[in-house]
Amino acid sequence: MFRKTVLFTAIALAAAGFGTAQAQSSRDYISIVGSSTVYPFATVVAEQFGKGSAFKTPKIESTGSGGGFKLFCAGVGVQHPDITNASRAIKASEIDTCKANGVAEIVEVKIGYDGIVLANSRKAKPMTISRKDIFLALAKQVPDPKGGEQVVANPYRTWQDVNAALPAVKIEVLGPPPTSGTRDAFLELAMEDGAKHFPWIKKMEKEDAKQFKSIAHTIREDGAFIEAGENDNLIVQKLEANVNAFGIFGFSFLDQNSDKIQGSLVDGIEPTFEAIAKGSYPLSRPLFFYVKKAHADVIPGIKQYLNEFTSEKAWGGDGYLAEKGMIPMPDAERKQYRAAATALKAMAAK
Amino acid sequence: MISTLSFVHSGAVKRGLQASGAIPSRFTVGDAAVQPTVGEPFSDQARMSCRQVNVYYGAKQSIIDVSLDIGRNEVVAMIGPSGCGKSTFIRCLNRMNDTIPGCRVDGTITLDGVDIYGKEIDVVPLRAQVGMVFQKPNPFPKSIYQNVAYGPKIHGLAQSRAELDEIVETSLRRAGLWDEVKDRLDQPGTSLSGGQQQRLCIARTIAVSPEVILMDEPCSALDPIATSVIEDLIGELKSQYSIAIVTHSMQQAARVSQRTAYLHLGKLLEVGQTERIFTRPRHPLTEAYITGRFG
Amino acid sequence: MSDPRSSQDQSNRPRTIDLVNAGLARRYRAERRFRLYGLSAISASLLVLALLLGSIVASGYSAFQQTFIRLDIVLDADQLRTNNLRQANYQGLVKQSLSTLFPAAVGRSEKRELYALVSSGAGFQIRDLVFASPELIGKSVPVWVPADDDVDMLVKGHLKVDEKAESHRLTTAQLGWIEQLRDQGRLSKQFNSAFFTNGDSREPETAGIRGAFTGSLFTVVVTLLLSFPVGVAAAVYLEEFAPRNRWTDLIEVNINNLAAVPSIVYGLLGLAVFLNFFGLPRSAPLVGGLVLALMTLPTLIIAGRAALQSVPPSIREAALGVGASKMQTVLHHVLPLALPGILTGAIIGMARALGESAPLLMIGMVAFIVDVPGGFNDPATVLPVQIYLWADSPERAFVERTSAAILVLLAFLIMMNGAAVLLRKKFERRW
Repeated sequence: MFRKTVLFTAIALAAAGFGTAQAQSSRDYISIVGSSTVYPFATVVAEQFGKGSAFKTPKIESTGSGGGFKLFCAGVGVQHPDITNASRAIKASEIDTCKANGVAEIVEVKIGYDGIVLANSRKAKPMTISRKDIFLALAKQVPDPKGGEQVVANPYRTWQDVNAALPAVKIEVLGPPPTSGTRDAFLELAMEDGAKHFPWIKKMEKEDAKQFKSIAHTIREDGAFIEAGENDNLIVQKLEANVNAFGIFGFSFLDQNSDKIQGSLVDGIEPTFEAIAKGSYPLSRPLFFYVKKAHADVIPGIKQYLNEFTSEKAWGGDGYLAEKGMIPMPDAERKQYRAAATALKAMAAK
Repeated sequence: MISTLSFVHSGAVKRGLQASGAIPSRFTVGDAAVQPTVGEPFSDQARMSCRQVNVYYGAKQSIIDVSLDIGRNEVVAMIGPSGCGKSTFIRCLNRMNDTIPGCRVDGTITLDGVDIYGKEIDVVPLRAQVGMVFQKPNPFPKSIYQNVAYGPKIHGLAQSRAELDEIVETSLRRAGLWDEVKDRLDQPGTSLSGGQQQRLCIARTIAVSPEVILMDEPCSALDPIATSVIEDLIGELKSQYSIAIVTHSMQQAARVSQRTAYLHLGKLLEVGQTERIFTRPRHPLTEAYITGRFG
Repeated sequence: MSDPRSSQDQSNRPRTIDLVNAGLARRYRAERRFRLYGLSAISASLLVLALLLGSIVASGYSAFQQTFIRLDIVLDADQLRTNNLRQANYQGLVKQSLSTLFPAAVGRSEKRELYALVSSGAGFQIRDLVFASPELIGKSVPVWVPADDDVDMLVKGHLKVDEKAESHRLTTAQLGWIEQLRDQGRLSKQFNSAFFTNGDSREPETAGIRGAFTGSLFTVVVTLLLSFPVGVAAAVYLEEFAPRNRWTDLIEVNINNLAAVPSIVYGLLGLAVFLNFFGLPRSAPLVGGLVLALMTLPTLIIAGRAALQSVPPSIREAALGVGASKMQTVLHHVLPLALPGILTGAIIGMARALGESAPLLMIGMVAFIVDVPGGFNDPATVLPVQIYLWADSPERAFVERTSAAILVLLAFLIMMNGAAVLLRKKFERRW
């Protein structure tokens, strides 16, 4: 019995060692990392690509945009990913890291937009809110309501306190934790913009960026904002149970649960597919993926994957990505990025 | 009375001398100058000879200067009050004490003239030559057959299955257990009664054909009938083996042994023909013990 | 004894039996209370367990069924006579048959709504059918294709239908078509075999558990093969052979500490050592197994040592007494006796490894992987990760699939425990 165990272990180790040597010399599937926002879209493309072609289905890890770039820029070789998804454009510092590790040529592909919604249960009335209201309702420190150029701890308890036009309901917002990309985008698109409605805070952005960030990017911690974890489905369930609560999440969750929840109108615009596509809905952001050009000829299927992703049946107005809640780009932009992707045109240095 | 004095005196002197290293640890038979024990500790036909054996558990000394022979075809009984070191002493004879951390043995113990604590001695063959039966019956949780066959198997005593069967049968017959278990050799040894289990352990011990058998209170966990069966068995076994038995029961010592050794607080006070010890003890403490004044 | 005082004492003092009887009722009451505490503790935990299982089963059982739509697919020879049978437009065939069923739908958006009734994976099903029996080309065959997840949710009653058509995911037209399909007997709920035979998918109706199940199996095999022998060897050495000194004390303290280290730390270790230093592939069950083996080793060693300690010393003495060497004593007698205990420890360790997802995040096993892994180096994910990924998916139909996946994980655990119990029984019977 003992001897057998030892034998099995030896065989397993030998097999593993042999297999490892094989796996390291080549990889026959595409390895993709990156943003959790792009993940639900990239996975659909990967699946369609894998089932519809002779290639293996790409492997996609949801690491977050920053984590994706870190892995992507670690170097060239089969142990490093080929493509990284991002819910923001690559930063200059990340390009530098890539260069330093030998990843010189990167192909940037913009794929569409994602909207961030503030939603509540369908049993309640929809709310019309401005970004300034959002900032005042959720920031930890707000400009003194009595006037003057100083901030005080957020005194607002109900939406009506913030803006007399809003309902007299306690402020209660469920949102993503600081690790989430949705939270970053929400801070940037809603809170920062709302803060800039106050001229003296706007002026501060240039003079004292740190102070500005601490005002615009700090969410209140007195119970009005509840961190609900990464699971957006959970937020939807909680909204259903509590008609007074609002939730912050990606548009695709609103789209999938439109029988239970409704999006608030931000600056007068309803979060609809069309409004985000047109760019009129204020809380929307572009989504990207980046391809390591050096891998395109080494890993089988990268070109075909790009072709699939940039085809009309995927990212077009009626494509299956739109079905999943991604907001397509205008025709001209789609054409431009498809051309760049199929030609593997590397980004110009920033 | 005189011998008692001489014992106290010489013991003290000897310990002091040994500490200074003046006295060599090896002694020849009949070295009476430092012999504290009353009676006849030595035998002309010694299988095992112990000279000036001291055993320490860490700093505590539990056997002091014991010298004793175990002769051919004789049963030596060790008696004495609880904690006197009887078990500790016989466990030195097959180096079972090696397994106890912090236990140290000095002095000389020889088996057929060979020092068993010598550097070149391997405990495995030693324990094949000096078998042991324990206080509590401890058969392996395996079949009756496997229990007896285990020793011969690991020592390679049987060339074939038939030979092994033969050894198992002979050993079980010797232990007087064959007729009781021959139809259920594949049943677990632990399913037997206490007395049967102990006889199984004896069969297991004699299956490897040892020269000496050590028995550490083999009947203390058994009822009187099982005890008498084992005692009869010991009587038969002495025709082939040398046996050292530790016992709490003076009657048992009187029934089974040829010589009896009385240990007291780690010291061997008196050794002699069993009959003589129980009828005419020379040492006052021996007398006190066998007449039941303490123990 | 004849002292009068003492006899007087005797008569004045209550008899022992009276004292005992007086306190008896109180003693029994205390005993009953004590038993009641235990009973209520057990029933409370059973209740919570039943609630948990009940809620999982209640939300998960429906995932084992799937709504199918019967379509008459015309395997048009002209359309399939392309030079590449694999690339042919099978989804087009599905769409054609839908159009034949509902000729009234003509507009572009109307057609889109119509096609959305059927799973986008239906085309692949037709393709597999054609590949399996090419003689069907040119014929019209009735095929049960999976319905889209929204239709499935509607049929299962998980989707609210109200007058405001645009407020839910199905339009009035679609609801009408579904009604018609139902009337024609073309709509039925059937056993969802795809759930057990498919890998992951972004379409709930084609998503299956097999990829994650296989990944878990591979991972656990690696974990077991590595941690069991190493753990047992370490436990045996520490318990039976190692001297007791400061070094072994230090090792013991460290092992006990490691058993309490958060599992994510092992993931970081695996990333640094196995991926970055040894260059093993990301997302591979081999690496996952290595990391989980490191994680379970302390548990296994501690359980193993406890099991070895509980073997009565008389067995060791018996073996040593007949001249067995130290190793023979351990291998022939002590280890077999300790094995049931060691196995229990191993099961606890394996169960923990099986339910672990945090350390796998670091080594890339939290990933979308469609293909069922075929070996220890193929990219793979495991059951708890699959549960996590599905719980995080926006599609409504994944909610029930998440619960179903939990049920599968529980079944896997029960299977493993059962196997271990059987093994243990078998081992004990050899005595």
